Amino acid sequence: MKPEKISDAIGLIDEELITSAQTVRTRRKKRRRLVRGLAAAAVSLCLITAGVLSGIKGPEDKGVEYVYAIAEAEYPTMTPYPDEMAFVDEKTGEIDYDAYQEQFENWWESRRARMEPIAGEDGLDGFWTATMRQFLSDANGENRVYSPLNIYMALSMLAELTDGNSRGQILELLGADSIEKLRTQASAIWNASYCRDGAVTSVLANSLWLNEGVDFERSVMDMLAENYYASSYQGKMGSSDFNKMLQSWLNDQTGDLLKEQAEGIGFDTDTILALASTVYFQARWYDEFLPQNTKEGTFHAEGGDMVCEFMHQTNIQSYYWGEKFSAMAKGLEDAGDMWLILPDEGVTIDDLLLDDELSEMMLAGGEWKNNSFTQINLSMPKFDAASDLDIIKGLENLGITDIFDAEISDFSSMTKETDEIYVSEAEHAARVVVDEEGCTAAAFTVMEASGSGMPEDEVDFVLDRPFLFAITNDAGFPLFIGIVNQPV
Amino acid sequence: MEDQRIVDLYWQREERAIHETEKKYERYLTKIAYHILADAEDSKESVNDTYLKAWNSMPPHKPAVLSTYLGKIIRQVSIDIYRKRNSMKRRASQYAISLSELEECITDGSTPWQTVELQMLADAISAYLRLSSVEMRNVFLCRYFFMDSIREIAAYYGVSESKIKSMLYRMRCGLKEHLEKEGFAI
Repeated sequence: MKPEKISDAIGLIDEELITSAQTVRTRRKKRRRLVRGLAAAAVSLCLITAGVLSGIKGPEDKGVEYVYAIAEAEYPTMTPYPDEMAFVDEKTGEIDYDAYQEQFENWWESRRARMEPIAGEDGLDGFWTATMRQFLSDANGENRVYSPLNIYMALSMLAELTDGNSRGQILELLGADSIEKLRTQASAIWNASYCRDGAVTSVLANSLWLNEGVDFERSVMDMLAENYYASSYQGKMGSSDFNKMLQSWLNDQTGDLLKEQAEGIGFDTDTILALASTVYFQARWYDEFLPQNTKEGTFHAEGGDMVCEFMHQTNIQSYYWGEKFSAMAKGLEDAGDMWLILPDEGVTIDDLLLDDELSEMMLAGGEWKNNSFTQINLSMPKFDAASDLDIIKGLENLGITDIFDAEISDFSSMTKETDEIYVSEAEHAARVVVDEEGCTAAAFTVMEASGSGMPEDEVDFVLDRPFLFAITNDAGFPLFIGIVNQPV
Repeated sequence: MEDQRIVDLYWQREERAIHETEKKYERYLTKIAYHILADAEDSKESVNDTYLKAWNSMPPHKPAVLSTYLGKIIRQVSIDIYRKRNSMKRRASQYAISLSELEECITDGSTPWQTVELQMLADAISAYLRLSSVEMRNVFLCRYFFMDSIREIAAYYGVSESKIKSMLYRMRCGLKEHLEKEGFAI
């Protein structure tokens, strides 16, 4: 009997057996991946201060400092991603595939339900493009990272705390024509982006820190808890306990990725309210990099060449290009993609940010017109990119001015107690760490090409000069966008 | 989109079915095709043929597990492409070309008896696999159904490649014995 015949017969064996082997191929991989392929975090912190202190009551002397929560967010419960080990019979090693599949389907259904189309989504396109240009330009050879999603959430909550023209300016930037529409949209985006189900970690958190000497509109805090999952805490501004509590909250929500930045954060005694918004995202590569393929190489940074570790991988997938750039998306397991965008030789990142084609491609995602399915030989430096931005100037350039001016700002939705309230500080810190970790003992799914198998039109995609990246979730929202000017 | 919904789209003759299949399974299918063909262009062709075959076969088929169903199609399509490619290399004469043109006039060439015999062989292999341990069976199928490399399979299980090689050797010997016992001429 010829081996071909056996092979043909194997193609006809019972489907149930094939399905079981197929499950192992994917599930084994997941269990053995260890730490991470990618981790990212961002925090926006706005300090709102009263220009005139006369309206604020002095803190009561209670002997000890105290903090209390006045509104706590209840996070949505999620169907957990099935743990395959729970379906294995310890004695026989048999997998109860039907039960596993049932829970998997339940998980998928619950995930899908959270990704219902978002009304008015088109209005957001302008926000993504404008903020990308504003916050990433003029990086001057430094790394720059920001989270459009995080800034969106922080601004949405600011819109809820304000009224009149202050609110109007924010609504305009966020592409919403009323506060009700913004609320619906923000809630939908929150739900499409928040995921903590055992498969994906994409955690958004919001909080408000209130001066105990001021009476706030309780209904607004409750509304923020309900629609923005924001918890509110009240305490003594400037006290070390309250500062520590904020720092600890920030570290908890960002997986300690921004610990360095959080250390310097604290309230002034005249802060009447602080708004903190965070995003923490962790995902594994769909196809991991093999550590043994990681080699030292030269990265041509603006300030001169530097040696760093490059991860290498070959895959057959879609390759995209525009007049000034080329791009590819590297898949994240169950969690979206990381887009890697390389400006053509001679094109600077700042030139590229102004290129309409770039934003068109990013908004089109995988549907961009210029694409070809081909073999891509990717060389990508391991990197740890972080930046700490004062975003007041940037927001002013984007048309949000009133909230920063004590004379004209309108925070009447938040409190009627005192005038001349304004945003005195607005900080945005973000960090993205990328490596091949997690695949030490994991599946190797690189498609190795050799000899005659290599297509003539293969592409070497070598990120050895400054490049852009964007992490998008399953719904296509940009969670993080950044520039790597210095991988190490 | 969940599989059931995609299958429904095929049954409703909505072309979106192919788009959704592509979105969900392109990577999975490309990997199987590439394991067999080791060529990007051929793999792409194989994936596209698979979409077409899926479209033409649903209805009447209503697969319970779409990934398995598609996996079976792409495996066969890729093997067919592989054989065609290799036979063309061997017989690059006008005669061979004329034969391949004439192939379009006939069916796939297998007689009903050959088809039944192949299915009997498949049933015997299924029976043997059911007698094996889950781990042995899955290692065997990773290698001979999905054509995963030894290195990949070792990585799935976190064991050495030599262990996988030895498991496969034992499975092959066992299969030979089983098929002989069942009356197949090996």
